[in-house]
Amino acid sequence: MFGQGLLKGLEITWGRMLGKKQTVKYPFEKIEMFPRFHGRFQLDVDKCIACGLCANACPNKVIQMEKQKVDNKQYLTKYVMRIEYCLFCGLCVESCNKDALKFSSVIDMNQYRREWVRLTLVDRPAPESKKTPEEAPAETAKEQAAAGKAAPGKEG
Amino acid sequence: MVENIFVSIAAWLRGLLGGLGVPDLWNDVILMVVKLLAILVFILVNALWLVYMERKVAGYIQSRLGPIHVGPKGLLQTAADIGKLLGKEIILPKNIDLVVFLLMPVLIFVPPLVIFAVIPFGKDMVAVDMNIGVFYLIAVASLSTIIFWAAGWSSNNKYSLVGGMRSVAQMVSYELPLVLALLGVIMITGTLNMNEIVNAQKNVWFIFTQPIAFLVYFIAGVSETNRTPFDLVEGESEIIAGPYTEYAGMGFAMFFLAEYANVMIVSAMCTIMFLGGWLAPFGLDFVPSWLWFFLKMYLMIFIFMWIRWTYPRIRVDQLMAFGWKVLVPLSLANIFVTGAGMYIFRAIGW
Repeated sequence: MFGQGLLKGLEITWGRMLGKKQTVKYPFEKIEMFPRFHGRFQLDVDKCIACGLCANACPNKVIQMEKQKVDNKQYLTKYVMRIEYCLFCGLCVESCNKDALKFSSVIDMNQYRREWVRLTLVDRPAPESKKTPEEAPAETAKEQAAAGKAAPGKEG
Repeated sequence: MVENIFVSIAAWLRGLLGGLGVPDLWNDVILMVVKLLAILVFILVNALWLVYMERKVAGYIQSRLGPIHVGPKGLLQTAADIGKLLGKEIILPKNIDLVVFLLMPVLIFVPPLVIFAVIPFGKDMVAVDMNIGVFYLIAVASLSTIIFWAAGWSSNNKYSLVGGMRSVAQMVSYELPLVLALLGVIMITGTLNMNEIVNAQKNVWFIFTQPIAFLVYFIAGVSETNRTPFDLVEGESEIIAGPYTEYAGMGFAMFFLAEYANVMIVSAMCTIMFLGGWLAPFGLDFVPSWLWFFLKMYLMIFIFMWIRWTYPRIRVDQLMAFGWKVLVPLSLANIFVTGAGMYIFRAIGW
C-alpha cells in the first residue's frame, strides 16, 4: 500500500520518543564503566613491594618511584605518574606481580593546569626501623648463618 | 465562568470605559487595540514556547533530552536564545538593498498577526468576525511569500536568492491544493465565516466527511510553513539558510519566530476547518471552548513536529511533481466527489 513506509517511519520515531533516553546528565549522573576500563590508576600500597617492574614496563617512562630499605624490606616512599605522557596501555598493570597497581573506573582526570595533571599515588616518609640497634646485627647474623654465609652483618 | 473569562474581561473593559464617559467610537477603538495586543502577546509567547517544544520533541525523538539546564526543565532556553540574539550585531553585507533588507524581518510578523485577528479562539472569541474569514486568511497568508522573496533578493547572496526563488515556486504550487482542499468544506457549509464553519461541525467533524481534503490540506500546510520534508527554502545542506542566510541577530530571530507563528496558523486552520474548532467532542462541555481549541491546535502542532523529525527532505523536482501531479488532481477529485455527493444526498432528501 502506498504510504506504508511513511507510517512505519512515524511509528519508529514514536517508539524512540517514548523509549529510554541515551543521554546521561553527565556531571550529575554517571555511566557505570566496564570492569576492564582503563581509568585512573590505583595503587594498593600495602601490597606493593617496590620491585619497580611497572616503571620498567612503561614505554613512556611515566612512572617515577623512590624506595628506601627499611629493615629487610623495600619501602616505597614516592610513586608519581606523569599522566600527561601516559597512553593508558596497561603494561604497568599487567606487569605487576602483586596485583597492587590497578585501573579504577574514574574517568575525569582533567585539570586546569598542565602541572596538576601529574598523579602522585604515594608520597610518604620511610618509617623508623622497628628493630633496636643491638638486636638488629644479631638477627642479621642469624639469617646469614641460615643462608650459609659467613659475611659480617650490614644494616641497610 | 471559565468558559466566558475572556469575553467577560472584554465586556468589563467596555463597561469601565463607558462608565468613564468615553464615546462609543473610541471605546470600540480602544477595545480593538487591546484585543490585537492580546493576540500579539499570544503569538509571541506561543512562538517562544514552540521553539522550546520543538527542541524537546526533537530531543525525545532522537533519544536525547533536549534543553534541560536553563531554568526549570530548560523552560527558559528560548528566552536565553532571544537574549543572545538581541545582543548580537546586525551585520549588513556589501551591496544589499538596505531598506528592503531591514524591512523584511519586521514585515514577516505582519501576516500572522493580521491573520490571527479573524481566528475564533473559542465561542464568541474572535477579534474581527468577518463573513469572508477563510478567503481573507488565505489571501493574507500568501503575502509572506513576497516577504521571503524580498528578503532573499535584497541580501545580495546567491544562496538567499535561490532560497527566495524556491520559496516562491513552492508556495505558489502548494497554495493551489491548499485552497482547493478547503473548497470541499466550504461547499458543504456554504459560508466563508469561520464561526459558522465551526458551528456546522456540531454533529460530525469535517475530518470524517472530508478525509482527503484534510490530508491534502495538511500536506500543503506543511509545505506552506517550509518545514521538513518540504523545507527546501532553507535546506541547510544545500543553500545554508535560504533567504535568512545574511540575517544576523534579531533579524534572524524574527524569521525564526515567524516560522512558528505560521505553524500555529496552519494548525489553527486545520482545527477550525476539520477538527471542529472550539467545539467539545463527546459532549465534554465542562472544559472551556478556548481550551478545546488550544488542545486541538497543539495536537496538530505536535504532529507537524513529529513529521519534521521523521522524514528527510525531498528533492525540488519531487516536490513540484508531488504538488502538481498528486495533490492538485486529488483535491480537484475531492471537489468533484463532494459536489456529486451533495447532489445525491439532496436528491434522496437527506
